[in-house]
Amino acid sequence: MEKELKDLREEYLQTPIPKELKDVVQAALNERPRKKPRVGRNILLSAAAALLIVTASVNMSPAAAKAMSDIPYMEKIIKVITFVEWKEEVNNSSAIIRTPAISGLENKRLEQSLNDKYLSESKQLYKEFTDSMAKLKEGEKGNLSVESGYEILTDNETILSVERYTDTISASSSTESQFDTVDKKNEVLLTLNSLFKDDRYLQVISRNIKEQMKQQMAADPDKIYWIEAEDDIEPFKGIDENQSFYINKDGKLVIAFDSFDVAPGYMGAVEFIIPTKVISGLLVGDQYIH
Amino acid sequence: MKNLDMNQLLAARITERQDNLYRLAFYYVKNQEDALDIVQESIRKALTSSNKIKDAGSIDSWLYKIIVRTALDVLRKKKKLTVADDETIEYLRSGEEDHYPDLDLQKALEGLSFKYRTIIVLRFFEDLKLEEIAAVLEENVSTIKTRLYKALQLLRANMTEQGETKRWKKN
Repeated sequence: MEKELKDLREEYLQTPIPKELKDVVQAALNERPRKKPRVGRNILLSAAAALLIVTASVNMSPAAAKAMSDIPYMEKIIKVITFVEWKEEVNNSSAIIRTPAISGLENKRLEQSLNDKYLSESKQLYKEFTDSMAKLKEGEKGNLSVESGYEILTDNETILSVERYTDTISASSSTESQFDTVDKKNEVLLTLNSLFKDDRYLQVISRNIKEQMKQQMAADPDKIYWIEAEDDIEPFKGIDENQSFYINKDGKLVIAFDSFDVAPGYMGAVEFIIPTKVISGLLVGDQYIH
Repeated sequence: MKNLDMNQLLAARITERQDNLYRLAFYYVKNQEDALDIVQESIRKALTSSNKIKDAGSIDSWLYKIIVRTALDVLRKKKKLTVADDETIEYLRSGEEDHYPDLDLQKALEGLSFKYRTIIVLRFFEDLKLEEIAAVLEENVSTIKTRLYKALQLLRANMTEQGETKRWKKN
């Protein structure tokens, strides 16, 4: 049997290595990791801590809040800060959950409802993590890693776009993102519907995304999108009004998909920038998208 | 800073061992596309949790661990997705027979569960030490030893069984 195992080993070692492997490996290595380098994060943390004190005092004392909004410079600063950060490590498992909070909006109802949503979702995530830790038997290793945080995608005079992401790594890994875009002047939360005159945009954008998918696939054989029905995979049919989106720094509409939504896992989370000329006739106005 | 060094070291190890990682992934899924997916996904996971590496010497087995997990995960997902008709299965089976010279052992090996197969592959094909396999599978060394012994026993049993059926068919 020793000899036969050796023969099998030869066979195994002759597994053909595809020439794409090098590129795939390099591409994966060059991907921007979600975690920030240590030094950067510490700075971020202390900055967050400092801001936390500000928020805390605003939250605690209405007098302080009033005093601050009387200071001219403090008045109109709309920003996103890290409101709460939870960190926990049990056995081999860890969770880092950063909850953003928006401050400075005069529309306190909007501010409050966004911040409440952020906080309750973070709490839910943290609860799920501790629940799954509790299910593990004593001494067993967990190997679950949850990291949740946010990124400010656009912050200019008119709009603020915030992405919140959750990376879950256990036996498999997945990333889910949610986006919120706030009109800073009118202080309202933007929805896809609110950007367009009527729902014709759904078809127009869906068609444009399919075209982009086809073009990308034709230009690069490594890219795969699920456009046509294949095996048991549900093909991409089109977007609906609840589709994730944001407005980027160039004032372009970006449609975002989570990993596995419209493409195989190796493609990761994918985004499509919709050329403004495709939708310009359908837009309510050009103050956000241009 | 320490983390940064570790990431560089990790990237270097990945680049150096990419063929091994791919082969192992391929062993599970038997097709290039999925194997490449697994390698890519594993590198992603490795980079995001590089702070968990305790010492540089354990990088290799840690990488194998991620590959094995990701591969099994893909297989689990596939199980739910793919339904092949009899013709396809028959075709694939005959293809396999053309391909492997050491049919009896190969078949005997395929007959084992992944729990045992992984140990055989890591020990005999990837030349890992028992301690390293223990690290990959997160078991203690004596468990691995017992399992390896059991795996070899099962292999022998499977082979004799197949050999006997063959002989019996010939008669």
